[in-house]
Amino acid sequence: MHGPTAIRWLLGLTLVAICATVLAQSRPPPAYVVIVDPNNPVTSVERKFLEETFLKKITRWPNDDAMHPADLAPNSPVRRKFTEDVLNRSVEAVKGYWQQRIFSGRDVPPPEFGSDQEVVDYVLKHAGAVGYVSGAAELGPARVLTVR
Amino acid sequence: MTRWLSWTLAVASILFEARAHAAELGHEGDLASVEIHGFASQGFILTSSNNYLADNTTHGSFQYSEIGLNFTKPLVDKLSLGLQLFAQDLGPTGNYDAKMDWFYLDYHWQDWLGFRAGRVKIPFGLYNEINDVDSARTAVLLPQSVYPVANVNYLLAQTGAELYGYLGLHAAGALDYHAYAGTILVDTLVPPGSPYQVVDLNVPYVTGGRLLWETPLQGLRVGGSLQALRIDATLLDNAMLVSVRIPAILWVASAEYAVHNLVFSTEYSRWYVKSDSTNEALFPASPIVTSERGYAMVTYRAAPWLQPGVYYSLLFPNIDDRSGRENMQHDVATTVRFDLNSNWLVKLEGHYMSGTAGLASSLNDNAPLNALERNWGVFLVKTTAYF
Repeated sequence: MHGPTAIRWLLGLTLVAICATVLAQSRPPPAYVVIVDPNNPVTSVERKFLEETFLKKITRWPNDDAMHPADLAPNSPVRRKFTEDVLNRSVEAVKGYWQQRIFSGRDVPPPEFGSDQEVVDYVLKHAGAVGYVSGAAELGPARVLTVR
Repeated sequence: MTRWLSWTLAVASILFEARAHAAELGHEGDLASVEIHGFASQGFILTSSNNYLADNTTHGSFQYSEIGLNFTKPLVDKLSLGLQLFAQDLGPTGNYDAKMDWFYLDYHWQDWLGFRAGRVKIPFGLYNEINDVDSARTAVLLPQSVYPVANVNYLLAQTGAELYGYLGLHAAGALDYHAYAGTILVDTLVPPGSPYQVVDLNVPYVTGGRLLWETPLQGLRVGGSLQALRIDATLLDNAMLVSVRIPAILWVASAEYAVHNLVFSTEYSRWYVKSDSTNEALFPASPIVTSERGYAMVTYRAAPWLQPGVYYSLLFPNIDDRSGRENMQHDVATTVRFDLNSNWLVKLEGHYMSGTAGLASSLNDNAPLNALERNWGVFLVKTTAYF
């Protein structure tokens, strides 16, 4: 390969790499990510598992540690999207479910937080905690769970 | 005192609407904090004829109030306790006497097996546990054939123990189950107009269970409940005592399908009631009488703040005699719930009733049920503040 040709190839590859990087970075972040504390050995869960977790129908991780789900505030668009995708119902329907559970003495809902950062702080502070935040949120050492 | 507390709760709920979650003693999300929830309701009942649930409803009655305040606290991992104070006024019952609606010590050993002791709401059918919780449902009155509010003292909660669990079945869905045994603590309350004075009233046992199958079809659950109990009473009539035993068996088959913003539910139930008496001249014994009950209901969340619903409910107190207005109760109801904000709701509801089996003679000048108006209507307004 002649020198000028090699330089053209090198420049071309560099351009492709830059374009790919820019494209990757400009792809919008997901509407939400599910996070756990970094010591949680679970790396991925099924959607149904998360639904049962946030409705507190199941309360233990596979290693028998207690689960501590954390919600965002009901008016959060991230919560609305998460609730519709994962719990398969509206935020209002979930609220109705919790009204039944609270006043029949069966259970109380997960704590609700006003910001992504508060959810991240809660998850990092409590072993077994699981939450969801905006895909653009600063996660710190919190680890993202893959939802199957 | 209770009225004051009721209004304070209501005002507080509305003022602090922005804080949609529960009050907590402790930091938000603190695992050891005490979680506090409460509600206060005021209703209005108007009937076109026949007094229903309260005195003088033909002219309108405000004797329909409820207030509750509950506390829940996790003690250690798997162990928690909770209690709810409750007072109500519904016609001749309640009179704002505060009582423990429920209290429990709960050991949640595994998701498939937990143990609870105390006074526990009875899991019977889909909605018995919320029969006194207005904010947890669309309608003002749940279908009265299966969930009669007049019997709430007998059917709402039992004092004893309960085993419960939730078992995932992978592709086959999940099972939700409860089994309980205990007693029911009831007031020796005598309805106005009763010929008897109740000297003693107790429930030596109540036992039963509920099994609900959450099917693989998202939102569909079906199941059944069974309950057996016996009521023992000593009555006084004209200075003569009579002992009465009333054993009963109740079952209900249930189905609910929640799809998008629609919820369909239907239940069919039969209750078998017998009575034995030591003095049949004063209190006649009866063989087993079987009543038939059922309903179909649809509710729709048209908007976050608007939820209309309709249902049809039927009651035959004795399946061997379905003729005559006193032996049937058909109820067609339409209801609408407005959630004014996340802590305050208002409901409007109308019923067209055919039959008088759901009425009480004692609220209607002791007139026999076959002498009351056959076709009648009920209009209800109810507002509830809760947090």
